[in-house]
Amino acid sequence: MPVVHEFSIAEAIAAQVLTYAPVGKRLRGVEIRVGALRGLDSEALQMAWEAVTFGTSMADSVLEVDQRPWSITCSECGREWTSPVPFVSCSCGNQAPSPTGGDELDLLAVTVDEEDDEEAV
Amino acid sequence: MGEPTRTVRVPIVERVLEANDEIAAKTRADLGRRGIFSIDLIGAPGSGKTALLEATLQRLAGRRRPAVLVGDLATRRDGDRLARWCERVVQISTGEGCHLEAGQVRDALRDVDLEGVDLLFIENVGNLICPVGFDLGQNVKVGLFSLTEGDDKAAKHPYLVTAADLILLNKIDLAPYLTFDRAGFEADVRLLNPTVPILEVSATTGAGLDAWLDWLDQGR
Repeated sequence: MPVVHEFSIAEAIAAQVLTYAPVGKRLRGVEIRVGALRGLDSEALQMAWEAVTFGTSMADSVLEVDQRPWSITCSECGREWTSPVPFVSCSCGNQAPSPTGGDELDLLAVTVDEEDDEEAV
Repeated sequence: MGEPTRTVRVPIVERVLEANDEIAAKTRADLGRRGIFSIDLIGAPGSGKTALLEATLQRLAGRRRPAVLVGDLATRRDGDRLARWCERVVQISTGEGCHLEAGQVRDALRDVDLEGVDLLFIENVGNLICPVGFDLGQNVKVGLFSLTEGDDKAAKHPYLVTAADLILLNKIDLAPYLTFDRAGFEADVRLLNPTVPILEVSATTGAGLDAWLDWLDQGR
């Protein structure tokens, strides 16, 4: 699993989460949305997140990745559908439908314990 | 204590690279005020980024006033190579970083005398993936591919192809010796980015470089 590409993104998310997570509340989860163009692998992102947050106040939190798919449009028959990969054939026989993807990379929300948790740093 | 712990969801909705993008926007504004056209050059290790810049700087002598920032994980070799052709070269050592970030570029620009400069090349770290997502404050991104990498690299790196304002296909002089499918490469690029110009060049022989220099002049 290539995690290198995801590592710098996980670091950026961690820095951003720190500015938002209320002090003294245990962080449980982080939600992000990732566009298809970013080419970020959800599993690799989660591994990188574990590594980046290890030993920090964000340790053991879960990174939830809303991975947006590619939109595929067939120029021959007009069919539109979504796909996890950009280069696919259409059922009408067209070998080269057009892929479009978003490049969003957004922090959507964090989930924290409502009660103060003395274990949290 | 004793109370069951409830969790609460705090909505945020902010771009993850917001901090980077803010710095990049400042850099873009500063460079724009100075009339400097800036290029983020992105390509794989060994694709010929430094060789292309050497050949380019040689040909720009007396014609444009370029400056160069060059990012690398380690060594100053690229910076030393480019310094033979340009007085204003700053090497950025990224250490473990696989890409340049806006802050590194902004810091490096403080070490360059930008007086009179009209063109800024930023040679990114050799990598087709990570650099694409980090805005550096450039005007354009140039995606450099080469024949020796294989003809599937555009299809395998859709973000770079989509984000690029120009695609350069380098080492075109090696075409007779390789089985690179140029039509297939171009078809992949076109599916992802129907309008991006594609220029075939050879940094070694100079083939196609006039079109590249003309493209740079159009960016003024």
